[in-house]
Amino acid sequence: MLSQAVVKRLKEIVGERNVVTDKVGLLTYGYDGTLLSGEALGVVSPQTTEQVVEIVKLMNEHDIKLVPRGAGTNESGGTIPSEKSVVISFTKMTKIHEIDTENFVAVVEPGVINFDLQVELAKKNFYFPPDPSSFKASTIGGNLGECSGGPKCFKYGVTRDYMLGLEVVLPNGKVIQTGGRNFQSEPGYDLTRIIVGSEGILGLVTKVFVRILPIPRAKKTMLALYDKVEDASQTVADIVAAGIIPTTLELMDNLLINTTEDFTHAGLPRDAGAVLIIEVDGYPEDMDGQVKTIGEIASKIAKEFKVAQTAVEVDQIWTSRRSAFGSVARVRPSYGVNDITVPRSNFPKAIEGVLKVAKDFGVTIGVVAHAGDGNLHPLILFDQRNKEETETVHAAEQALCMMALDLDGTISGEHGIGLVKKKYLDKEFTPAAMEAFRKIKRSFDPSNRFNPGKIIDL
Amino acid sequence: MSNVNISKLKGIVGDAYVIDSPSEMAKYLKGQGKPAVVVLPASTSEVSSIVKLANEKNVKLGVGGVVVDTQGITGGIAMVMSRMNRILEMDHLNLVAVVEPGLLHKEFLLKVAEAGLNFPPEPYVVETSSVGGCFAIGDSDSKSFEYGPTRTFLLGFEMVLPTGEILEIGNKCIKNVSGLDFIHFAVGSQGTFGIFTKLLVKLLPVPEAKKAVIGTFPSMHKANATFNTLIKRNVHPTRMNLINASLAKIAKPETEGQLVIIDLQGFKESGKNIANEVASVLTLGGGSDVKIIEEGAEYDQMINGWLKVRAELNAKPERIVEFVVGPMKMPQALAQLEALTGDLGAYPGIIVEGLLGYVCLALPEGTDKLVLATKVNKLAMSLGGNVKGLLGHKLKAEVYNDAEMWKQTTSLLSELRQQFDPKGILNPGVSLEA
Repeated sequence: MLSQAVVKRLKEIVGERNVVTDKVGLLTYGYDGTLLSGEALGVVSPQTTEQVVEIVKLMNEHDIKLVPRGAGTNESGGTIPSEKSVVISFTKMTKIHEIDTENFVAVVEPGVINFDLQVELAKKNFYFPPDPSSFKASTIGGNLGECSGGPKCFKYGVTRDYMLGLEVVLPNGKVIQTGGRNFQSEPGYDLTRIIVGSEGILGLVTKVFVRILPIPRAKKTMLALYDKVEDASQTVADIVAAGIIPTTLELMDNLLINTTEDFTHAGLPRDAGAVLIIEVDGYPEDMDGQVKTIGEIASKIAKEFKVAQTAVEVDQIWTSRRSAFGSVARVRPSYGVNDITVPRSNFPKAIEGVLKVAKDFGVTIGVVAHAGDGNLHPLILFDQRNKEETETVHAAEQALCMMALDLDGTISGEHGIGLVKKKYLDKEFTPAAMEAFRKIKRSFDPSNRFNPGKIIDL
Repeated sequence: MSNVNISKLKGIVGDAYVIDSPSEMAKYLKGQGKPAVVVLPASTSEVSSIVKLANEKNVKLGVGGVVVDTQGITGGIAMVMSRMNRILEMDHLNLVAVVEPGLLHKEFLLKVAEAGLNFPPEPYVVETSSVGGCFAIGDSDSKSFEYGPTRTFLLGFEMVLPTGEILEIGNKCIKNVSGLDFIHFAVGSQGTFGIFTKLLVKLLPVPEAKKAVIGTFPSMHKANATFNTLIKRNVHPTRMNLINASLAKIAKPETEGQLVIIDLQGFKESGKNIANEVASVLTLGGGSDVKIIEEGAEYDQMINGWLKVRAELNAKPERIVEFVVGPMKMPQALAQLEALTGDLGAYPGIIVEGLLGYVCLALPEGTDKLVLATKVNKLAMSLGGNVKGLLGHKLKAEVYNDAEMWKQTTSLLSELRQQFDPKGILNPGVSLEA
């Protein structure tokens, strides 16, 4: 419980309506995209950097920890409240300060929803490349915190590649700026890069300078259908070997084809083993050549290859992909999203590995993958109310992580570590690397005030 | 009196690779400092043993690929990485290479090209830059608009920490957000967190076609105006560079006036059309001798000319001022700059990287760098930019009249450095206070 004095002070800082302390209110902030939950002492929603500074100082005086939160869509447990903490929600910091297309920069507050920014940018024929599947709900601050990916990473990279500068409130309540409006502004060390993906354990971001790009003049979306997942991964390898860098190489297996079909009726054949969504972008005059090459490569092995002819067809294809996670709820009430990545050459082995885990543990796993990146999202379907089954699922998830590491991969391609994968982190990193993380955390936050217990323990 | 134990060093790397005669040491050193010894390790374990020895005895240690900056290491050790120059792996399936840090950047580019692949970062100083140095400096360059800055191309590394401990991190996955991002944080840390001993480098397929369009202009303003036209037309070449008349002859002998070099890497079809569009824009903008270069050898020569100019400027970092503004703000920037520098064409050196909004000035003899940088920073800030890097941050904080922010930033930087290097032995010449 927060003392009356602290609640009063918080209300003075952010306004009466922006402090939540009632049981029901707190409960709703106790969850994120994972199965975990926690309960905060309070939730506070600042609207300005100055208010964030005041909150940090107040919490420090009372030795209360702060847990930053955007839309809470993350899959890592990164925003689950820890003990004796107040959640600082950035959903009221939603200003787009500036969109400067001439200079390829937008300046936004952390609570801006990715999709809302995209809509504003699209009016000027620009876009912000990172667009995780959650982009209709997730915030720029959250994307930054987890260093989100999305379907375009093969060509365009992840969130870290589009962060030019940040305004950051440090755990001691002081404000610094990292980077600036261009690539050349980091002060000695690349502070922006270490804060991106740090899940709020180093500082609270209150302003973000993002790099924006003109929407490519042309784009082609293709669909290839296969009997087996392995066949699809062969196409991926062949496309890369041909020197083509598609924006997107998305894969769904038979299970996902069926669950998304139930929902979207996009017309994907339900008996296909796998579908590959391939997209290239660039100058119009280069499209035909690339489509032809990709078509030749895919047709060697695919049972069907087609090029979307209309915007409606493109939308239909993407609706299937974007609804993949949610669609499985029709099969079982709960699902666990995994986020393993392997070197591209090991992708076929990773697919085999997933099938083996499903068999060994007797669980149902569907696979969605950013195949060009070697990034797989095996979705394990189950019922959370069944304790025994839940235990099995957790064991299977661990097996998937270990499988990825055995294939020289990583336990997180784009979702982050948070609480969910923290226990496996020392399987991926050597003691020296783990210690390097702690050195960094200690430099920023020696008293462990910001999002304690996420990623690493001090 | 130096604490350096020469015989122990010889025991680690062999007699031949410990050099302590000043005349022989000279070719490995630059700057005013006087290290006691130059040592050339051949392996990670040798680097580790040397660093352990230095750490134990509190000996300062500076590191370089071919040449070591001696600032701050008088009486200490200069470690030259040039014997660790192998490519350990070239992985076509995953588009990555594993490289030792002492390999010359230009040699690496050759090997990568032979393998039919592409490593975009430009060498900092063509003749002497190493791959380790490339990531230790971790700059952006004139290709960064298209390819991203240098850090984009590092997926992992092996590093010897200031305590001698060996740290390995990263993997061949192009998407990896596990743990804190020490991989990219280490890029640009100038050897203060540790010494790279292996680099896991991301590569790309070679572009299908390369072309360049060049032209000369009577003034910097006219030349730069064509860049704005191109950006407005939604044309974003791989490089869009401008070299003032004083430097242009280094890039291309007998050039009269300011030289524009537009580099187009991409596909054959669009390349042809864009080259024509660029050539028209340059011609209409007042350029003369506008030429589309399609032939490979001539293209390489032109790009090498650009790299020579870049090397010339980077070789004397204390004599350059670099700043950035919004790319479309460059006309105002150059107009205001001229009030400070006089005729831009006649200034000892000015380059503009159009898509990055970047300007580098080579200062005339006798110019006070800090005074000029302060003025330039004000100018740049009014146009959405600032002087580059740490110095820029200091000047920015001065403009904001925010001494506290500067204090916070520097204390954070020094805390980070100290966490990794408690005794402050590694590359002490690198200042994090501007």
